[in-house]
Amino acid sequence: MSDATEKWSDNQVALVDLIDRVIGGGVVITGDVVLGVAGVDLVYLGLRLVLAPAHEVEQSIALGRRSA
Amino acid sequence: MLLYAVVPADATAPEARGLAGQRLEMIRGMLAAVIVEECAERLSATGEDARSFAEIICDLATTTSMLPIRFPTMLPTRSAVLAELQANEAAWRRRLTELDGLSEVVIRVQWAEPDHESGPASNSSGTTYLLSRAAVIHRRESSVAEISELVRAWAREIKVLHSQQGVRIACLVANTDVPQLRDAVTSWQQARSDRQVAVSGPWPVFSFVVDQEVVST
Repeated sequence: MSDATEKWSDNQVALVDLIDRVIGGGVVITGDVVLGVAGVDLVYLGLRLVLAPAHEVEQSIALGRRSA
Repeated sequence: MLLYAVVPADATAPEARGLAGQRLEMIRGMLAAVIVEECAERLSATGEDARSFAEIICDLATTTSMLPIRFPTMLPTRSAVLAELQANEAAWRRRLTELDGLSEVVIRVQWAEPDHESGPASNSSGTTYLLSRAAVIHRRESSVAEISELVRAWAREIKVLHSQQGVRIACLVANTDVPQLRDAVTSWQQARSDRQVAVSGPWPVFSFVVDQEVVST
C-alpha cells in the first residue's frame, strides 16, 4: 500500500460514500420541507422542492441551458 | 411525514423506529408501498441525521428489496404520500423487480499525484491551462474506461458519480457477486502503485433507482 493509500481509512471512505449517496441518490419525490437549525424553523418551503447536492443542481442548470 | 423507501406492496412492515423515534409505518398501494415516519414538520437535516437515515435504510435493505428515497424528503400528510405512490407505483414496482437481489458498490480511484489544474488566475499561459485541463480529463476518462472493463463481468449497470479528485464509479452488482468484484478491484490496484483504490458497499441501490439515469455496461 502506498502512503497515499494509508491516508484513507476504509471506514471513512465508506461513510463518505454512503452519506453522499443518501443525499445525492435515491428516489426523488417532490415535497414540502421546513428547514430549521437548533429547533427553530427558518424557512418553510411550500414549493414543490427537491433537495440535492450543489453539484447536481449546477449540472441540472447547465443541462437546462443547453436544451434551451 | 419523513419518507424512507419504496418497497413491494407485500413487504413485511418494519419493526424499527425512525429518526424522530417514531415507529416506521407502511403506506401501501396496489403494487408498491412507502415506508414513512410520522414526524413534526420541521427537519434540521444535519449530517448526523443523514448518517442515521443511512443506517436505517441499510438495515431495512437486509429484509426487503427497496428503492431508497432521497434524504430528506417529507410530505405533509398520509394522503399526499398515497397520491405520490399511486402516481408512480407502476414504474417503481417495475424497477423493484429489476433490482431484486442487487446492490450498489462504489469504486473510488485517486492518484498518488492529485488532479492539479492550473487555474486561469495562475501565472501559467492559457495554453498551459488548457493542456493541464485536458490531461486531467484524459486521465479520468481512461480510468473510467479501465474500471468499466474490469467490472464488466459483474456490473449490470454503472454510473459515474461526481468527484472533485479522481473518479468514483457506482456499480450495480448481484449480492452474490460482490466478493468477486472486490477481489478483482484489489488485484487490479496491486499492479498500479500510482493510484489508490477503495471499494465501499454493498449499499442499497441509491444510484440506480431510475433506469434512465444510468449508463448500461
